[in-house]
Amino acid sequence: MFFPKEMSEVELIIPSKDLVAVTKALSGYGVFHQVDSANLGVEGLGPNTWQDNAGQYSNLERRIQSIFQNVGLAEEYPTRAEIGSMVDLEAVRPKVDQIEEEVRAITDQLSDERKRLELLESQLRQLEPIADVNVEVDALRKPTFMHSILGIVPAANISRLRTSLLRVPHVFFILREDAQKPVVWILGSKRNSDVLERAAKSAYLNSLSLPEEFSGTPEKITEKLRREIESSKQKISGLEADLVKHGESHKAELQELLWEVHISRVMADAIVRFGQLRHTYVVVGWVPTADLEELTTRLKEASREILIETTRTSRSGHHANVPVALAQSKWLKPIQMLVGTYGHPSYGELDPTLLMAFTFPLLYGAMFGDLGQGLVMMVLGILMHNKIFMKGMQSLGLLIAYCGASAAIFGYLYGSIFGFEGHLVEEYLHFHFEPVWISPMENILSVLSIAIDAGIVILMIGFLLGMLNSIRTREWAHLLFGHSGIAAFLFYISFLAMLGSFLGDTALAPKVAVAINSLPLPFTTLLIVFGVFVMFGGFFRNMVEGHTLIEGKGFGGFMMFLIQSLMDLIETVISMLSNTLSFIRVGAFAVAHGGLSLAIFSLAGEKPTLGFWITIILGNLFIIGFEGLIVGIQTMRLHYYEILGKFFHGGGMQFEPLQLKSSQKDA
Amino acid sequence: MASGSSGYAAISAKVRAMYADLLTPQDMARLSESPDLPALVSGLKSTAYGKYLSSLRENELTSRRVILQIRKRLADSYSSVVQQAPEQSRSLIRQLFRYFEVGNLKAVLRSIQTVSSWGSSDTAWDRVHDVLFPLGSFSTIPAQAMVESGSIASAVELLDGTPYESTMSFAMKRFSAEQNLFPLEVALDLDYWRHIWSEVKNLKGRDREMGGRLIGSLLDLNNLMWVIRYKIYHDLSEEELINYTLPFGYRVRDEDVRSIAAGADIAATVSRIYPAISDVNALLERPQAGLPKLEYLLKQQVMIQCVSAFIGYPFHIGLPLAYLLLSDFEIQDLVVLIEAKSSNLSDESYRPLLLKTTLIQ
Repeated sequence: MFFPKEMSEVELIIPSKDLVAVTKALSGYGVFHQVDSANLGVEGLGPNTWQDNAGQYSNLERRIQSIFQNVGLAEEYPTRAEIGSMVDLEAVRPKVDQIEEEVRAITDQLSDERKRLELLESQLRQLEPIADVNVEVDALRKPTFMHSILGIVPAANISRLRTSLLRVPHVFFILREDAQKPVVWILGSKRNSDVLERAAKSAYLNSLSLPEEFSGTPEKITEKLRREIESSKQKISGLEADLVKHGESHKAELQELLWEVHISRVMADAIVRFGQLRHTYVVVGWVPTADLEELTTRLKEASREILIETTRTSRSGHHANVPVALAQSKWLKPIQMLVGTYGHPSYGELDPTLLMAFTFPLLYGAMFGDLGQGLVMMVLGILMHNKIFMKGMQSLGLLIAYCGASAAIFGYLYGSIFGFEGHLVEEYLHFHFEPVWISPMENILSVLSIAIDAGIVILMIGFLLGMLNSIRTREWAHLLFGHSGIAAFLFYISFLAMLGSFLGDTALAPKVAVAINSLPLPFTTLLIVFGVFVMFGGFFRNMVEGHTLIEGKGFGGFMMFLIQSLMDLIETVISMLSNTLSFIRVGAFAVAHGGLSLAIFSLAGEKPTLGFWITIILGNLFIIGFEGLIVGIQTMRLHYYEILGKFFHGGGMQFEPLQLKSSQKDA
Repeated sequence: MASGSSGYAAISAKVRAMYADLLTPQDMARLSESPDLPALVSGLKSTAYGKYLSSLRENELTSRRVILQIRKRLADSYSSVVQQAPEQSRSLIRQLFRYFEVGNLKAVLRSIQTVSSWGSSDTAWDRVHDVLFPLGSFSTIPAQAMVESGSIASAVELLDGTPYESTMSFAMKRFSAEQNLFPLEVALDLDYWRHIWSEVKNLKGRDREMGGRLIGSLLDLNNLMWVIRYKIYHDLSEEELINYTLPFGYRVRDEDVRSIAAGADIAATVSRIYPAISDVNALLERPQAGLPKLEYLLKQQVMIQCVSAFIGYPFHIGLPLAYLLLSDFEIQDLVVLIEAKSSNLSDESYRPLLLKTTLIQ
């Protein structure tokens, strides 16, 4: 639970005859993470027919998906999809061909009809400007001996256009008088066509092209076009209905085919990555140790002659090539998402999910403590998680519900409900509600001090977890002299003691620091000693690991080393101070929450009128939305910058088992 | 007449007062003596432009910024004149002001054409913004959105609902085919001048006469320069020249433009229309240098018309129009001076380009 699952390396030697059965067992159980044989140095023998098969299955799967799309069906597998054997390509292909042909016959017609409709609509648009012109279209089309130009011209340009044509014989008709878009028809001899065209172009005449297949007046043609458009639309609707009908009649068959081809494709893809010997296949991969026994049983059922060799991999030491499987719990999914955003744990490293599942709501609730608003958030989160509100955000809903519950608990401790605190609760809500623990608004310095204390405790836990990780990965140098190692931890303790001594009895003094300072230890000496260890941490790490002690050579190299060491010390002190003080924001936000509520009250006034309650409701909604989001960001920031960095490195390889999904959504 | 007097009494007095604030040729000569841009700006600060330049710091002095600031004075003049002008003349003055919006629109379209070389469209708007005329609330075009749209087609779509929608929708067909801004810019120019001329024709009596004289003179300048430039530089055909010019004006008649389009001698035609302009032949022999000079001389003809508007009966639209045109010419002179001083040009290279000389008081 605190660490990724223990993994075992599995090496299989499979006889060729059992290849498909074993692949099915490996893919069907969803626990086997395959390693590509190319990475193992096992070469295939000659051309790999499985490569071709995988390509053909993939092609077939795409064709079936395309059919689904064409008939308007959602891509789904059968409700009770069973993992059968790989289908014979030659048996499936004719079925797909047949359905595809039937569907194509309709889709081709549909495509043609849509193109035709587009053309008809374009022709109608062309004719609309001259729809009321009472001239035969045949006469407007290019005549044999004359040059004809028909088009729309800006009204203001007509006179100038006529003037520009004065030197060539021509006939100029204004077919439609219009203040905006008059339609004109110019006829001249073919000999003067260039003059006519230049004049028309320079007068910004936009030509109209008339459909060749129509005759009669524009009015008659547009009427005919409209009729044809209507009939084309009906035809398209009919064809679309045919497609849907066709899809429904083949739905079950298509779903079955898709499932069979899909699992065949997945298995073929897996086999392509197997190492092929003369009569056997070599398969290497990783399995969670807990699932090893069941997988082994299944594999032996699939092939009696299979050779299985397993090696348990210890979670100690470095194992960069081991895939990391985390414990799956739907209740921890939102926290896993947050951890995943930071990094994927490496094998053997502590999985911070559980710790964060505790600290995230804790810090959020401490900053946003309000019983009423917390309960509203919790209800909203539950609604989101159950897909009643904002579907598709189930994980976020769960996180909001956790944070809301924590905020409600802290609200109870702070004595705050919908922003009402102290006497306001009695005055406006008519019941008694006192803070069980502390009221942030009335104890500002104490709250800030408690926040720093909480931060110190969390940081110490971070240091300890970092050390634990170093022990597990056997990084002794880092354990002793790393940034979150023993020397740094003891330096931090000494640093806190000095802080406790400096702040003494002031209200802001962190209790933990004061308590450490009260221990009978020579903290000044310890601070200097461990400060030296921190300062020369790199030097000591190199000494433990047997590397060159100082990288540079000569006096220059030594000076550079000294400067670098000094900078390391300064950086460590600054980061310890800033990490500790960073938690002050938890208290500051708890106080700010009360302050924001007060601001809403001053807007609402004093008398409990309708306007007062409307302001209070809107104010509460604003606080839940606005402050809720900001506190969420701050909580994330505290985890990513101050907490996780102390012990969590990430960089692990994700466990991706071979899997035959039975639902498209999961796939 | 009575309504004319009462309507123009206030604006006439105001314009006369504003006219007195225009720079004199002596002021211009003094400013020309400035050794560099900071000295020029310092000199300008003691004129009516002072309040527009006071906000500029020494280290922010660029020619572009100074020009933007001094143009604000012209924008204020238009705004002031429009507010005080009688109802019947406001429409024409507004249309005259729209000239700068047409200029802005062209600048925006050009910037979109060249924006790829400037990197992001954010940079483009920063660059374009400073060269646009400061129209303020008078502007009807969404200039920034157009620049940021990234293409001419998208930018033109943003003009829907503006006075340019119809013109641009016709011209866009040609732009799509030719991928050249020329048809768009010509269409904008023709539309602008047609509109302003129709505003002149809507006036009555002395307003129409004075409007025709001043706006017509300006139109003459443009019409004549278009036909000459299109013929010499673009080698356009007769029918194209006719369609790209306008058949009205003050001195330049449709027959003059058409005769040039048909191949008549340009110098002879110009000399016949403007006997005061001598040696047109020499100017046209070397068009590269000659045409700007001809344009300069034609602008002086317009200035003479403007100055003469202040002589005689004062209650008509001529005074405000003349003042606004003279202000514009003055700013054109100042732009020449600013650019010259910021580029350290020699006196002889820019002085001949200054419109306001002792000839025109």
